Amino acid sequence: MKILGLLWKNLRRGVATLRFPEAPPMTDGFRGLVRFDPARCTGCAMCRFRCTARAITFNAAGKQFTWAYDPSQCTFCGRCVDGCKDHALTQDAECPPIYLSARALRTSYTLQRKTPPPKSQPAPAGTSAQSGESHE
Amino acid sequence: MNLLTALARFFIFPGLLFAIPAAWLVLWIERKSVALLQQRIGPPFGQPFFDFVKLIGKSTPARPGVNGILMRAWPLIAVSASAGAVGLLPVLPTHGGFQGDLILLLALMEIPAICMIVAGFSSRSLFGEIGSAREAVLLVSYNLVFLLAAVSIAVSQHSFRLEALASATATPWRYLGLIAILICLPAKLHVNPFSLPNAEQEIYSGPMVEYAGFELALWQLSHGLEWIAGVGLVVTLAIPPSAHLWLDVAGVLFLGLLLVLAISIIAAATARLAIDTTVRFYWQCTLAFAVLAISTTLLMRLRS
Repeated sequence: MKILGLLWKNLRRGVATLRFPEAPPMTDGFRGLVRFDPARCTGCAMCRFRCTARAITFNAAGKQFTWAYDPSQCTFCGRCVDGCKDHALTQDAECPPIYLSARALRTSYTLQRKTPPPKSQPAPAGTSAQSGESHE
Repeated sequence: MNLLTALARFFIFPGLLFAIPAAWLVLWIERKSVALLQQRIGPPFGQPFFDFVKLIGKSTPARPGVNGILMRAWPLIAVSASAGAVGLLPVLPTHGGFQGDLILLLALMEIPAICMIVAGFSSRSLFGEIGSAREAVLLVSYNLVFLLAAVSIAVSQHSFRLEALASATATPWRYLGLIAILICLPAKLHVNPFSLPNAEQEIYSGPMVEYAGFELALWQLSHGLEWIAGVGLVVTLAIPPSAHLWLDVAGVLFLGLLLVLAISIIAAATARLAIDTTVRFYWQCTLAFAVLAISTTLLMRLRS
């Protein structure tokens, strides 16, 4: 009969869950959507190599390359961000937005390949890169 | 009861037109009350209706090796039988019904469970077959008690006519039988602790595992109508008729709500029982209760 007492306490304490789309505050270090900074990217494709979910695709053609990210396939493991030596990738600290089609949040960038900066010097501002962003 | 009255009772009141919204309301009350008891916010008002509409819009994926016509037929038969059972309930003090309609009501209330059993076997899914086997054992367990209790009520009033039972003054033996029926209701409605045929976590809802879209919507509707038929049977037989119609209506609604809440609290407070424990519960504990009800009724009848 202890369970009835427990249920009564639950009823009196009120609900502990939230109605959608309300959400609890995110914890520190929450891994959300991956953000790409085309000014910093050197096109090393390490992120594609580390992405086991195949959410990041990388296609190189001559001096150009196309970097694309599909959040619908992403497991938000953060391995791409950890492996990016140029700090071109970051992750949002909030939940991804609600989307209704599979590729609604897909982003892709076509950039000019550039040589990575020397390790002793800080990364350039990326003014020389021609970047084009397209949302599919 | 002429054909027109029968059709009106089946399609309008207390049949489909009334019973379907009432079924959604009861399903919502059950889900919401269980959620509140578990400190969850629960579904918004009308969620079972939205679920129904959503499921109607979804297509059923191809099921190779499964007889599609049979799979579509079972939920349709279940809904029809449940609606027919609700239509037979003596909720209005009219001269509807016919001699022996209690037997028809009990038969119609059994059909959805039987449909669920054959649907599980028709699906050719391992989980469906396990769920169907469990449902068959559960059916055998609680039905002995359920039918004995129903017969004891009928014998106590010397009639198998629902209208006569509802309008007659209730005897203490009738309440004994109604309590036995109440004990069987959670098993009939597959709620905890007797939810083992459609256990979601163990066997993926058992017989429902291969169902989707419109067919699943029909199963959910049939489940809601079973709630109305089961609770309605107890309520209409428990409340003595009064001179005022509004008093009867208020009494039926109040007791019905109370029963739904009581079953929901039992569902929230208990865990799922294993099949052998369930059988033991009904055949060892509750059967004595039903036998007592029918033997007392028969003895009283012999004395009178």
